[in-house]
Amino acid sequence: MEWFEALALLLGTIMLLMAIGMPIALAFLAANIIGAWVFMGGERGVMQLLNNGLGALTKYALMPIPLFLLMGEIFFHTGLGGRMFTAIDKLLGRLPGRLSYVTVLGGTAFSTLSGSSMGSTALLGSLMVPEMSRRGYKSHMSIGPILGTGGLAIIIPPSALAVLLATLAQIDVAALLIAGVVPGLVLAGFYIATIWLQTRIDPTAAPAYDVAPMSFLSKLGLLLREVIPMVSVMVIIIALMIRGFVTPSEAAAFGALGVLILAAIFRCLTWKAMKKSVIGALKVTLMAYLIVFGSATFSQLLAFSGASRGLVTWATSFDLAPLAMLLVMFAVLLLLGMFMEQISIMLLTVPIFFPLAQTLGFDPIWFALIMLLSLEISFTTPPFGLLLFVMKGVAPAGTTMREIYTSAFPFIFCSLFLVALLIAFPQLALWLPSL
Amino acid sequence: MINTTYKALLYGLAGVSGLMLVWIMVSVIVSVVMRNMGLQPFAWLFTSAEYGLLYMTMLGAPWLVREKGHVHIELLTAALPGAARRLLSRAVAAACVLICVILTWKGIELVMTNIKRGDFDTRAYYYPRWLLTIAFPLSFGLMAVEFSRFVFGRELMHSGEAGIHE
Amino acid sequence: EETISAVHAFPETLIYTKSFLSFVDKVNEAGKGVIQIDVRGGPEAIGMFQQPDAVRDGIVDMVYTPGSFYGGALPEKDAMVASNLTAVETRANGGIALIDQIHQEKMGLKYLGWFDSGVCYNLWTRNEPKFDAAGNLEVEGLKLRGNNVYNAFFTNYLGAQVIDLPTGEVYSALQRGVVDATGWTQIGLIDLKWNEFLNYRIEPCFFSTDLGVIVNNEKWNSLSDDAKKILQEVAIQHEKDSVEALRAKRDEDFAALDAAGMKVVSLEGEAKASYLAAAREKTWERMKEVMSDQPGGTGNYDRLIELFYDLGAD
Ligand code: NA
Ligand code: NA
Repeated sequence: MEWFEALALLLGTIMLLMAIGMPIALAFLAANIIGAWVFMGGERGVMQLLNNGLGALTKYALMPIPLFLLMGEIFFHTGLGGRMFTAIDKLLGRLPGRLSYVTVLGGTAFSTLSGSSMGSTALLGSLMVPEMSRRGYKSHMSIGPILGTGGLAIIIPPSALAVLLATLAQIDVAALLIAGVVPGLVLAGFYIATIWLQTRIDPTAAPAYDVAPMSFLSKLGLLLREVIPMVSVMVIIIALMIRGFVTPSEAAAFGALGVLILAAIFRCLTWKAMKKSVIGALKVTLMAYLIVFGSATFSQLLAFSGASRGLVTWATSFDLAPLAMLLVMFAVLLLLGMFMEQISIMLLTVPIFFPLAQTLGFDPIWFALIMLLSLEISFTTPPFGLLLFVMKGVAPAGTTMREIYTSAFPFIFCSLFLVALLIAFPQLALWLPSL
Repeated sequence: MINTTYKALLYGLAGVSGLMLVWIMVSVIVSVVMRNMGLQPFAWLFTSAEYGLLYMTMLGAPWLVREKGHVHIELLTAALPGAARRLLSRAVAAACVLICVILTWKGIELVMTNIKRGDFDTRAYYYPRWLLTIAFPLSFGLMAVEFSRFVFGRELMHSGEAGIHE
Repeated sequence: EETISAVHAFPETLIYTKSFLSFVDKVNEAGKGVIQIDVRGGPEAIGMFQQPDAVRDGIVDMVYTPGSFYGGALPEKDAMVASNLTAVETRANGGIALIDQIHQEKMGLKYLGWFDSGVCYNLWTRNEPKFDAAGNLEVEGLKLRGNNVYNAFFTNYLGAQVIDLPTGEVYSALQRGVVDATGWTQIGLIDLKWNEFLNYRIEPCFFSTDLGVIVNNEKWNSLSDDAKKILQEVAIQHEKDSVEALRAKRDEDFAALDAAGMKVVSLEGEAKASYLAAAREKTWERMKEVMSDQPGGTGNYDRLIELFYDLGAD
């Protein structure tokens, strides 16, 4: 079978099944069964599929996600979240969309703690979305910024994906990590601008209500009592991580522990809240991990059948000008990213793209950063972006996939704009590492 | 009687799944604290958390089918008129049953192969592989039952309510 | 023309994978019109730890992987792990033939060749290692990263606090001081960039890499005699070539590390002998223990040790 036939068979199956309303995880499993049957020699291929799923799930790197979810759920169900957001509302007064700004700022700060965008989305989603919708924010004002900042986690150091990419491509790890700082902050700035624009265009998207004037002292009291304790949990964990007490993967467990202790101090830790939190975290995790189970093998089938490699080799076989070639590579990454898992994409494309980038005269650090950005974007692009499904899991009942797609769009556009800026001004990435 | 036993099994496994989540948190905290006190963290803390991820996902998945927690896209089901929508919804559920039955059958074969070959998972310890893979037939078997409730039962998997939204 | 499919355990950019791919090139050159190897990819095509099962079940015909990835099914791979010989000597003395026979019996696999042998492991540390009065390495206070290849040695003999971390997490763990020492092969440290944090290499080196090519037996038996002959001959040639190529690479890496300030500290005399003895004996102990639970028992134990370890060489 030619590579494009294999590609058409695998992608066609999954798109069709998703369109007729099969649960995403089951659609992957069905495509895998068909793919395993065709490319792995009949029914024994299906057994291999289960073995692959076992390998994909028992990975240490997956551990932070349920724990960040648990942290967010405890924060919400114990009422700590409500108290903190009420305080922020009072402190920030009339600023329209203030919790959306808080999300971006918090998300940017959190990116310095988390190396995984799934963990970041899980935490911010479970932390912010329920409170924001309770306060009358339209869903795109909460979901959009969180999907955006989820992606920041893999650009701003620490970033597990950046370390892996640098190692695979044999480039300077530290330089790539540092190169992500300025573009990450610029991107966060774009998000802030997007929110400002959105509240301008549609003032009802975020509730604006009059806040009674408060004295400086009562503001300070509110800050100390309701906001500082939660923020210090985050600060302590970041400090522990910098001191080498915990690795980024382990930080989530201490985040959950920190919120538990805080809830105990504020006397709002109940068995009922705990049970609700575990169930809430469990639901999102189970949904997302069964998709991981299916999609990991799907990625492998795309590789094993020769479909993805065929695509990559074909797309890069044309004799194009450097900029056109860069765009081709970017497009291939986005396309693969719609269906494949990020690490598999890197393993597949690095050996082809980096030598090519070198012959085209690209700076490898700059190129690696663009590659990271494309992986980040593909994490939030329909039809299959894992972050979108995580978001669906934490969003209030009745939120449709379409709402989630449209919320993501303006923030995806910000990332695309950043890529354009990086192409025009490579110094944006390269200035800091060169110091 | 069978019904009560079945329900107890379904919810019992979901409970185990929730305990696994808590266990993952505890094991990470304990091993980090031990390490920083200058003790050697038990390797089984780390390994059991990795295995915990598998057990958590597989044992909880059938319960999530009942809770309609597995995300799907309502595109066609929202566009179709009542009768056709109900038919499609039941057909999709039936396809899910078929997928789960195939995976149950292959899962049983995998467990038998693991036992016959004496396969071990070699991380910190040599752990019998079938103790891991047994989660597959158990999980997909129960999922098949749960999906079949949407084929034959009164309730449908798809709401169709979303109108033009999805 | 016959074709066999193949996957490799490690990413394409890793030195060991490049070695395997050069073997494939040699086969495809020598085998024109007779036999060709079709490489389907690495861990992105079939998961690293699922590859041994995949070749056993005939999903793929050939796999290049460390024996340690299927040590549960074939504990005899520890004879190679603890070996101080290379594929050249063990091919000549019948050691590899015995390993091949065990693969056929226990897993239904043809063991085609032991590549990239002769590369051993060192302990690498951030801070200057300390020694007791007798010259033995002191591991107290050392935050040592381990994995299942060397834990038998590190834990049972050195009594070290082993921190199990996947390879991908080691860089940031070193950066943050979660670990400050690790075992690793003589080559590859620079590729992983760990030398940014590690400053000392402790000699002597111990163990050996155990990377080999395994082929599904049914597929192997279905090949024409010509094809088998080409595959086997090229593999034996590559066993030899890869030893030399990797030795050259090791010298190159060591020179680069030296230039960058890596210091070498060596155990001597009695302490050195007992360090090496512990490395091999703890590993053999583990091998014997697992073998005794399997059909066939420990029947091959003594013979394996005799063929894979030269006591006179240390
Ligand atoms: Na980060
Ligand atoms: Na995607």
